[in-house]
Amino acid sequence: MKFHLFKGIRILFLAVFSLMMIYPLYWLITSAFKTNKEFFARPHSFPTNFSFENFTRAWEVADLGTAMMNSTIVTITATALTVFLGALTAYVLSRFTFKLKAFLMVFFLLGMLIPIHSTLVPLFTMMDQIGLLDTYWALILPYTAFELPIAIFLTVAYMSSIPKELEEAAVIDGNGYWGVFFRIMLPLSVPALSTVAILSFLRYWNEFVFALVFINDSTLKTLPLSLSIFSDGFSTDYALTMAAMTIAVIPTIVMYLIFQEQIMKGMVAGSVKG
Amino acid sequence: MQSNLKLKGLLVITLLPALLLYSFFVIIPIFWSSYYGFFEWSGLGDATYIGLQNYIDVMQSPVFWRSLKNNLIIVAASVFGQVPIALALALMLRKSNWFQIFVRSAVFLPMVISTVVVGLIWGYIYDPEIGVINTVLRAVGLESWTKAWLADPSVNMYAVAVPIIWNYIGPYLIIFIAAIQNIPSEMEEAAMIDGASGWKKLIYIILPNMWTTIKVAVVLCISGSLKAFDQVFVMTGGGPAESTEILATYMYNNTFLVYRYGYGSAVSTMIILLSLILIGISQVLMKRKNEGMTIR
Repeated sequence: MKFHLFKGIRILFLAVFSLMMIYPLYWLITSAFKTNKEFFARPHSFPTNFSFENFTRAWEVADLGTAMMNSTIVTITATALTVFLGALTAYVLSRFTFKLKAFLMVFFLLGMLIPIHSTLVPLFTMMDQIGLLDTYWALILPYTAFELPIAIFLTVAYMSSIPKELEEAAVIDGNGYWGVFFRIMLPLSVPALSTVAILSFLRYWNEFVFALVFINDSTLKTLPLSLSIFSDGFSTDYALTMAAMTIAVIPTIVMYLIFQEQIMKGMVAGSVKG
Repeated sequence: MQSNLKLKGLLVITLLPALLLYSFFVIIPIFWSSYYGFFEWSGLGDATYIGLQNYIDVMQSPVFWRSLKNNLIIVAASVFGQVPIALALALMLRKSNWFQIFVRSAVFLPMVISTVVVGLIWGYIYDPEIGVINTVLRAVGLESWTKAWLADPSVNMYAVAVPIIWNYIGPYLIIFIAAIQNIPSEMEEAAMIDGASGWKKLIYIILPNMWTTIKVAVVLCISGSLKAFDQVFVMTGGGPAESTEILATYMYNNTFLVYRYGYGSAVSTMIILLSLILIGISQVLMKRKNEGMTIR
């Protein structure tokens, strides 16, 4: 009897706790479907009828189309660059022995310890001098650079577990180093590389502080930057702001629903190695 | 010899792009930052060398010390919020039925949400009029407890810390669940035979076996919470009247709002030093047991 009571309390607690965890998102998405009138009258009720008007209005007023396009270009380019450079570097670090190898591993590890915002001022002035500010590259290059340590470590760990015999067989078949990389290592590392790709995608899609400092041109603003500016200007139009935010979070939630296990394991491995 | 040369060429070609990109954007800025700290510079025109003046000013600025204190509040809130909550949840989430998987997913979900959205939505949650906190307080008759949570300096720093706790419980939960699953089942069985159950098993078997993992989590939590910026910046921007200023917002406001690049760089350097000191301390504390992490 006592045992059942205990179990019941536990389940109740877990249920309430997870609802509390989800509530901010639930509120965000349901509010996006309300009119402002309904929102102010009953801010926490379930919407009486679902209107998509806020979404179309947010899309036009906040110019979310442009922001979505910019975010997509930056995220996809940087993700591709991260996966390729990460794989190439990991291939060399996991398959060859050379003098500087141990030093390089530590050198790349250092990057995970550095708080990103402490590099803002120097990066801003450095990029100003070489004319990178207000270009897509002002985001793509630093994003990739900061994600490389995690990409390299996840991929090195995976590549080290690929048996040496496969490589030797490929060499006997007449493949050089590049042949081994493109025909053997790259295809076999797809599980690790897809984790790297998913993590990079989420990180870049959501990144805020670099975009805030390095992008001033309104035609180049990414989604998080647009949202923060937009919410300042329309702070009383809650339903509209909520709709804009919903549009921004949906791609990441969809990714989470599809790749949940990979995202959890990847994020944990990335943070533990740091 | 031929192939040795070819190998060296390959190493250079393959490593160079990543190495250059990484050094230029991650490592070199750190040194630039401490160098700029010696100059008085508004971002335009010439910089004037002023020696250690910026660093002295930083040390003498009361706002810097308040930011540091606020930063430590966030560190403490993360360590004493995220770790115990994640640990308690992990102890309750040892099975993999649909309900437990749902709870795990719900707890991890904020990790994939844009930090800007997190900041904005929590700003609304704390809103005195429409926010859920005051709405609930009014509904249960605690009208007198309602507050402007983000504006009232007596509570706003704690209010700011809550979304950061909420945001990052997930990874610790996953780490702890993995650690519990790694405890050899023979140990638990032996304990059962010895008559240990419930609390006794928790105190004598589970917690001692997780000690290393808990320490790792605390270290991660400290270094992670020093990186907090976005949520605070979006919610309050460090205000009102610098009451929620943390080191990163203090640096940002000085550099990009009032254009004191040299001073901002000096603050950046202090942030890096502080991180390295805290990481160094935690490394020393961790040294005794480095093994124990088996998460892949």
